Amino acid sequence: MEIVTKKSNDVLVVAISGRLDTITAPEFEKNILALVTPENKKIVLDCADLSYISSSGLRVILMTLKKVKANNGNLIICSLQESIKEVFNICGFSSLLTITTDCTSALGKI
Amino acid sequence: MVLKNRLELRLSNSIEELQSLNTELEQFGEIWNLSPELIFNLNLVLEEILSNIIFYGYDDTTDHTINLNIALEGDIIEIEIIDDAKPFNPLNRPDPDVNQSLDARKIGGLGIYLVKKIMDKTEYVNKDGKNILILQKNIKT
Repeated sequence: MEIVTKKSNDVLVVAISGRLDTITAPEFEKNILALVTPENKKIVLDCADLSYISSSGLRVILMTLKKVKANNGNLIICSLQESIKEVFNICGFSSLLTITTDCTSALGKI
Repeated sequence: MVLKNRLELRLSNSIEELQSLNTELEQFGEIWNLSPELIFNLNLVLEEILSNIIFYGYDDTTDHTINLNIALEGDIIEIEIIDDAKPFNPLNRPDPDVNQSLDARKIGGLGIYLVKKIMDKTEYVNKDGKNILILQKNIKT
């Protein structure tokens, strides 16, 4: 699991790659929660290169979403691979947050 | 019944085992000609069950063996997980309400729910002091 961040105007784009599982989720939790600040209200999580997620990863995404909302911000997730999107659907995440097919539309919507 | 395709693994109760399990699954997926989606789902299901056993199942610090058997017979893939952890039926865990609003949603509790949703049949028995979990999925549907 790796994350790369870049700023696009006032939006922080966080690109995550690799596997978000029981082993990697603690590191992701530490990194992403540190990025959610009152200065970073708008965050796009780019999952184009995310190949796998388990409940440990979903847990961190939910924590991140709650923290973003507590700052009156917005979190959009983009470019989910099909199997991961299905996991999001099963867990009801698709109705909790906005999911877009690509990063450009995420930046347009946020 | 004779099973043509069978994978038998003996795992230790260490969370690092999940890494080697992923590699094994991908290799067997290729040999059995399973779709990447199915491998993803099997990996997910096994991670959820095994991490529960490894994190919460043992009160001591000694090494334990978890037996994992995966068999493919016709269109049915059957997973059997046998451990000597504390008697625990993960299937009894209440399902989370996935329709709740963000404020009401609790963090966590999704692992076993995913297992139940992904697999077609789930069964738990406690026999001779062992937890036995049997999970089936029809791979053609």
